[in-house]
Amino acid sequence: MSILVVGLNHKSAPVEVREKLAFNANNISTALSLFLHRHQSAETVILSTCNRVEMYVSSLDGAVKTEDVLSFFADFHKIALNEFSPYMYHYADDRAVNHLFFVTASLDSMVLGESQILSQVKEAYTTASMDEATGKVMNQLFQQALNVAKIIHTRTNIGKRKVSISSVAVEFAEKIFQEFTGKTVLVVGAGEMCELLLKHLYEEGARTIVVANRTFERAQEIANAFQGQAIKYELLGEYLAKADIIISSTSAPHYVIHTDQVKDAIRHRRGNPMFLIDIAVPRDIEPEIANIDNVYLYNIDDLQSVVSQNIDERTREVEKCRSIVEEEVEHFMARLEEMKIEPAITLLRNHFHTIGKEELARLKTKLKNIDNGDWEQVIYTVERTINKLLHHPAKVAKQEAKNGGGYRYVEIIRKLFGIFHHTDHS
Amino acid sequence: MIIFTHIPFIIAILLYFTSSVWSIGHIIKPVFFNKAVGKWSMMMGFLIHSGFLIFLGLESGNLPITNVYESFVLLIWCILFVYINLDYLYKLPSLDTFLVPVVTALSIWALTFDGGNLLITVSLQNFWLIAHIIPIFIGYAAFTISFSLSIMYLTQQRQLKLKLFGPLFTKLPSLAEIDRLMWKTISFGFPLLTLGLVFGTFWVKTQNILGEQWYLDYKVVMGLATWLIYAALLHMRLVSSFHGTKIACLTIAGFCLVLFTFIGTFFMGSKHAFQKMSTQKHKEF
Repeated sequence: MSILVVGLNHKSAPVEVREKLAFNANNISTALSLFLHRHQSAETVILSTCNRVEMYVSSLDGAVKTEDVLSFFADFHKIALNEFSPYMYHYADDRAVNHLFFVTASLDSMVLGESQILSQVKEAYTTASMDEATGKVMNQLFQQALNVAKIIHTRTNIGKRKVSISSVAVEFAEKIFQEFTGKTVLVVGAGEMCELLLKHLYEEGARTIVVANRTFERAQEIANAFQGQAIKYELLGEYLAKADIIISSTSAPHYVIHTDQVKDAIRHRRGNPMFLIDIAVPRDIEPEIANIDNVYLYNIDDLQSVVSQNIDERTREVEKCRSIVEEEVEHFMARLEEMKIEPAITLLRNHFHTIGKEELARLKTKLKNIDNGDWEQVIYTVERTINKLLHHPAKVAKQEAKNGGGYRYVEIIRKLFGIFHHTDHS
Repeated sequence: MIIFTHIPFIIAILLYFTSSVWSIGHIIKPVFFNKAVGKWSMMMGFLIHSGFLIFLGLESGNLPITNVYESFVLLIWCILFVYINLDYLYKLPSLDTFLVPVVTALSIWALTFDGGNLLITVSLQNFWLIAHIIPIFIGYAAFTISFSLSIMYLTQQRQLKLKLFGPLFTKLPSLAEIDRLMWKTISFGFPLLTLGLVFGTFWVKTQNILGEQWYLDYKVVMGLATWLIYAALLHMRLVSSFHGTKIACLTIAGFCLVLFTFIGTFFMGSKHAFQKMSTQKHKEF
């Protein structure tokens, strides 16, 4: 049993190559069954996201080689091998396991520690197992990978801090308002960043949304998208006091929201906090506003610096994650060695029980007058003896296999007892 | 003998101190300072504290308020009692970091009052005494908690203003949540304070324990001032729906008045049903 991964990612290949090799929900099942048709004893999982395309294969004694997977990619996507093979990487056995654990724990992602990859791996595995492309090895491997990712996310800070401008802004807003139901969001200007932030707030429960923009149509467009209300730009001042959260991103060359206006608004609001985000350059909101009591003002630099701090924090956690991964890879490889010996032990057990049954049948012909109760006792004793005899060697063999060299024990068992796997003859 | 009876309370203080260190440490270095250590040392301290009060009560056969020291110890017990119950009901995140140090400081301060030179003059077997003291103590406890919450509020708002987004920022709850809890604790404490003051007034009217000019007693005057400041706070919240830093600052001012009413008035010479031990003894002769 060997494990192989062949693939490419955002680091190894440009998007032009990645998109050619990508699989989608419509063709992934076909791909899985075509591959298994070619390599019947293999197990496989295909992981295809916008940043990576990878194929995990497990086969008996490394029957499937890297070249086989590469030529499968070429045939399936109908592209020439040399067009993509320079961008591909491939790892075998413990390095392949290490790679999958790394990927699943989001240590290989473009945004370190993001959680999306976890669900993508889960989905890739579910698809493969629904299509019966996975077996004992792939099931163990992927379940363990998902497990390791969870361990890493709980034990380290890799995914704790927010690393996008909008998520950081929402986190701050949460530290002020706790929740957004019943809160009013006022959007001034209609930039892309504004929309992104608004989307984030909407997802968190903000439902009262007011949009003001120089061109009223654009304001209406955004307002409609979030079931909000578009207002004339000139009415901005009137709405300030009603707004709990203000996002500003106009392209105006001067300040749009002034100190006096906000002072006035906060008086009307009786100390209810106001949260202002200025993502415009040049700035829209007079910076002195930050000095007003109960007003919290952040500009794009404030948010950006938190984002970069948080990214640094995540990068610092990588080493901790790496050592967890290494430890888990070791466990998994030991488990794999143990799995190798399991069929041999089953064979051994069957072999002993067959002998036992044959001997019992022989005995039965000799003891014609034995009553049923006694005969059951005899059967019981024979089976118990066999189980007792096998218990210790099976246990020791499994333990020894964990430390590597499972195959050696399989060979020894076969040789000592003269048993052979039926596939050996085929 | 006095030193000996102290020992349980000193142990409780040490446990509160440990709890303070751990609950603050937990924010700075959560790996080293386990939150459970902080919590359990506080609970252990509270149990010993409770045992100590029971011991004092059994010894005198009365509520442990026979001198200023005892009533201070009882007040601190009330603070923790209310906190533990509120925490159980509302899950107040990180409040221990702000409350337990206050409790520790108050406990150490309480120790300095042991000497017991101010003894209570009224009969302890009095319904009015219980009806006056217990609601006020629980009310004070609630105000102490709201004080810790205000400190927490101001800390968090300072961090938001100065853009300090460290571990403390992440651990503290949102401003809205702290504001809500502040409001809850004050509106819990206020009716109790009112009740206690009303009973006190009845008592003083019916039994003439503070003399004719009872209303000039410092403690009575300060008690009224405390009541007024919290009434104003509630008014601002209820009628004008005020929020934010002003409310937090007023809550802190309210707590300072509470402390002053409780302890400070003794320094100003108010007896308020307590008397110097020497004078009392003199009377007995």
